[in-house]
Amino acid sequence: MNWRGKLNKYLASAYKNWIISKRNIFTVFELFFWPMISLLSIGLLTRFLKVDEGMGSFLLVGAIALTILQVAQIDVAYVLLFDMWSKSIKNTFIAPVHSYHLVFGALLFGILRGSVVFLILVVVSRYLFGFNFLAGGPVPVIIFLAGVFATAAVIGIAVCISILTFGQKADVAAWSLSGLILLFSGIYYPIDVLPASLQVVARAIPLTYFLEYYRSVFIPEPHNLAVGALLAAFYLIAGLILFDRAIERARRTGIMLRLSE
Amino acid sequence: MVETMAKQAVQANGICKSYKGFFTKATMVLKNISLEIDEGEIFGLLGPNGSGKTTLISIFSTLIYPELGSLRILGLDGQKDRDQIRKLINISTAKPNFPWSLTVKENLRHYGMLYGLYGSGLARIVSDQIDAFELNDFQDMKFEDLSTGLKQRLSLAKAMLNSPRLLFLDEPTTGLDPDISLKTRLLIQRIHKEQNISVLLSTHYMPEAEMLCDRIAFLRKGEIVALDTPQNLKNHLGLGEKVIVQFLGQVDTAEIEKVPGVLSVSSVPGKAEITIDRNADSLDRIVKLFARAKILDISIKEPDLEDVFIELAR
Repeated sequence: MNWRGKLNKYLASAYKNWIISKRNIFTVFELFFWPMISLLSIGLLTRFLKVDEGMGSFLLVGAIALTILQVAQIDVAYVLLFDMWSKSIKNTFIAPVHSYHLVFGALLFGILRGSVVFLILVVVSRYLFGFNFLAGGPVPVIIFLAGVFATAAVIGIAVCISILTFGQKADVAAWSLSGLILLFSGIYYPIDVLPASLQVVARAIPLTYFLEYYRSVFIPEPHNLAVGALLAAFYLIAGLILFDRAIERARRTGIMLRLSE
Repeated sequence: MVETMAKQAVQANGICKSYKGFFTKATMVLKNISLEIDEGEIFGLLGPNGSGKTTLISIFSTLIYPELGSLRILGLDGQKDRDQIRKLINISTAKPNFPWSLTVKENLRHYGMLYGLYGSGLARIVSDQIDAFELNDFQDMKFEDLSTGLKQRLSLAKAMLNSPRLLFLDEPTTGLDPDISLKTRLLIQRIHKEQNISVLLSTHYMPEAEMLCDRIAFLRKGEIVALDTPQNLKNHLGLGEKVIVQFLGQVDTAEIEKVPGVLSVSSVPGKAEITIDRNADSLDRIVKLFARAKILDISIKEPDLEDVFIELAR
């Protein structure tokens, strides 16, 4: 098989997610409604509390990060959720595909959707709240987004593993895991305010480091981007290995068959 | 390449499988299944619901794995060469499911991409399958809007995307109207003839197995209880021919039962069904016992697989 054939095995998931999304009216909610609600409520809160520019940027970076994280992670999770809901999982896994084909194809579409949401939020936050997200130039933005998308991929993989391990009831994980990340990674507060034991958990989440890095553009603070990048790479590789193992386990236990019935 | 030299599409030896839930005891669904399916053969798996047909097909198609036993598919090792095997096989199932909001064409395109098809080659294969399975008028219809028969045709079209050498058909006509079932069977016959692929078909419709299959294995409670050609199965089970006599008047069925070669007699007023050993010369003597009645009609029916099924499912 040449490179175009190999590439298409990745693009298959992006193609499926794209078609399903464009036919689903609720995509509008995922792309516009909830992101706007999130941004507006945090933006207005900063007005109400009369926070200074630095604190305003701290909170708005968190709001934007959370929104694009949720959009991208659900796209990765959709790669199995759509199959599970339509009971067509066996058609996917009868084909010669691996976890990385599914994850990276779906992530590609997640990055596209996440980037659209990001641009909308950047424009809206600039005009409504005077916050210039791009003040640090394009490189910090690209690094920050890469970190958010990598974290989204890891959460999406975790949802897929849950589905293959626990079956249909596990789809609740798709909406719960990003909430936990919100709690631990300091989306709206520095992680110093967390109890010591939870700070350890926070330090194990790559998004924590990418948030600290990007906030340092607006409020100079020390950060440790390299640790975040290493953690993200480690989780991605480990996630893909565990995803492949979960597929194998589902084949051994027969869950693969039950998810199609 | 190893797989091009294979004489057997499937070589299974001692396959066992059980399912276990978190809080439930393991249930053995396949017990020591061994069979060989030749390349180019249409092989039928028959059995009542819950006999293990779908599990066995799922194992052969590498969708799920056995607990015990060895498996070779198209000469390839069922454990080490699973990726290679998946390129050479495909499956179509009963009550097929696909992503709902994708159209026929989009579904074929999506699954074609999963098999590494691309560009004009992908477009051509999708178009060929749409033509072959007469889906032209429905290619832009969403899966959720298709009739059951069209869904089945889409499933068969999907199963042919990678030009498989071994095709698994798991109850492909379940839930279809009789005319659509017949069309589907003819379609399967045509695919097999034109592309000379091996087919493993599971069904509990006897006419389907009789029409399509070169050989048949009967599964009961996870075990193969018979394996042969349809004709040999009927012969070896000694099911006999059925003589159906419609008559006016009285006949002593007890006398008929005493005739050598008569296996069983069942009667209602005006009609008697007598099962006779096909090798015994008993027909003449039976007819003589109807001398005091007026025979209106007499017919002889060969045993069919339905009879074999009932016999084996007991």
